[in-house]
Amino acid sequence: MPANPRPAGLRWCALESDASGSKRLSLRGAWQLADLTAIDSALRGAGLTRSVVLDGGGLESIDMPSAWLLADALRAAGIAPEQVQLLDFSDVHRRVIERVLRLDDKNQQLPRRKRLGALAQFGKSSIEVARMCAGHVNFLGETAEAIAQVVARPTRLRMKELTVQFEQCGLNAIPVVALVTLLIGIVIAYLLGLQAEKYGANLFVVDGVGIGVTREFAPIIVAVIVAGRSGAAFTAQLGAMRLGEEIDAIRTLGLSPQQVLVVPRVLALMLCLPLLVFLGDVMSILGAVWIAEPMLDITPTNFLARLHETLSVRHVIVGLAKAPAFAFFIALIGSRMGMTVGRDTRAVGLATTSTVVQSIVAVILLDAAFAVIFQRLNI
Amino acid sequence: MDLVEVDNIVTRFGAQRVHAGVSFKIVAGTLVALIGGSGSGKSVLLREMIGLLRPDAGTVRVLGTDMWAAPEAEVAAVRRQIGVLFQDGALWSSLTVAQNVAAPLREREKLPTRLLRALVRLRLAQAGLPASAANKLPSELSGGMRKRAALARALALEPRVLFLDEPTSGLDPITARAFDTMVRALVDDLGITVFVVTHDIDTLLGAVDRVIVLGQGRVRADGPVQDVMHIDDPWVRAYFAVRTMIEGGEDGS
Repeated sequence: MPANPRPAGLRWCALESDASGSKRLSLRGAWQLADLTAIDSALRGAGLTRSVVLDGGGLESIDMPSAWLLADALRAAGIAPEQVQLLDFSDVHRRVIERVLRLDDKNQQLPRRKRLGALAQFGKSSIEVARMCAGHVNFLGETAEAIAQVVARPTRLRMKELTVQFEQCGLNAIPVVALVTLLIGIVIAYLLGLQAEKYGANLFVVDGVGIGVTREFAPIIVAVIVAGRSGAAFTAQLGAMRLGEEIDAIRTLGLSPQQVLVVPRVLALMLCLPLLVFLGDVMSILGAVWIAEPMLDITPTNFLARLHETLSVRHVIVGLAKAPAFAFFIALIGSRMGMTVGRDTRAVGLATTSTVVQSIVAVILLDAAFAVIFQRLNI
Repeated sequence: MDLVEVDNIVTRFGAQRVHAGVSFKIVAGTLVALIGGSGSGKSVLLREMIGLLRPDAGTVRVLGTDMWAAPEAEVAAVRRQIGVLFQDGALWSSLTVAQNVAAPLREREKLPTRLLRALVRLRLAQAGLPASAANKLPSELSGGMRKRAALARALALEPRVLFLDEPTSGLDPITARAFDTMVRALVDDLGITVFVVTHDIDTLLGAVDRVIVLGQGRVRADGPVQDVMHIDDPWVRAYFAVRTMIEGGEDGS
């Protein structure tokens, strides 16, 4: 048991008056980061005044953070760093305190972070979106120009990059596209079948599935998958290249990054998306055939015969024709977001997310536009 | 007292043997530099010492704890007492400089916001950063500022041992010497032990207590700079010859 228990505040420091009436703050114990909160309250409760002298006789150790608090407290008491008087300090403690006092002489406060209000944030975001759209249009022009150059002189086309991209965006996407569209075919046939059964109109399910899948569902679903796979991949690849200054290296060789990186990606995606959509058509009809027999008593032969009668080829062509347009915009957004990404790792992640969102929105918007156009044209 | 003990470290990458039995000890309160040619495995050794990469054989003891055999909790306790400055800073890109510096404090100490801000201010001042840098994101800083911010973060918890990976690379000579002075002061005033991987010959000559030379997978030389300079090893001679060349050979031999 301690012979003379001191109040908690006195453990760290105490203000004492000596015979001559001058005040001294004696520091005690080990001033460490772990006890910072206690040291802080002790200092604040000590009642420092301008004329205080520091006594370090009882100090066991002092680290930078606690010395810093001491300096802060002295400054708050109106003692300038050069007026601080240190009595009885060991050399090491004196050095630490003097170093901290020297550091402190700028006395700069950390600026507070500014937070925007809701309206200001809305305005800022709107302007950013508008700028981004303007940038997309700009990029569209540059890409169109680069493609025109390739058309004028086909030897400029980088076949190797094109085939690599074709493999990554097309061939490698086959399993996931096949699986998803097969399931979509099953689901649509099932839902239509539930309704049609009530009216004994089982066979009409074939009409619905045929037109719906080839004209709308397969193109949209496949485009969304590709936006998530390839659009995001474009942004991540090009963004990482931009971080590593690889795109700048291409420029300094006198090459156009548009020509080397963007055109092959755009063309590869425009080539492989229609093929993937066709695969999607076939797989979803297969899915529908699969479920039609057990659920609606339509044999595969009957299904295909009915499909042959009712599904006019124009529906399939409309569906396939939309694909290159979807692909063009997915590749464009993916490439542009990658090429303009900010120069840090976080920006690549944000841009990739943004690419997927933008691409899917673009696909839906384009599809709506196509629907109106085809309706007016009576196709 | 030996705060860091590296004993007979062997590292292989496939068929390539990077370390063939590296051993040394670091006494508390000293500034020790590790030098060696490109590809001599300096950074790999550093990663093994801080417990990020498991060596194929040998032991690393930091503050008496075997970094690769001790229980998870004990290693975590050691990690709390060491600070690491990575080569490119490794600042978290989604946090501002102030948040980066505050992160270790937030995770390890329960401090009121006022004290937290005071400590961030201290570490920034210690690393020589203006308070105006506090709210910037790492991507908005120059390379030198990023290094300083990273040092401020490494210092946040008042570490007992500080590991620095090429702290002065990419800095201009003036900033680099100021950095050396700062690190030297940490050793002298606070008794922090510093282990620095470097290429910077000026750091060696100006600030370091002891140099360890790594080459061909082993420790080629170990001792005060003045001794190591005159060791008969081709790489060491070539390394210091660059310096002698620039200064017109006034440095003897």
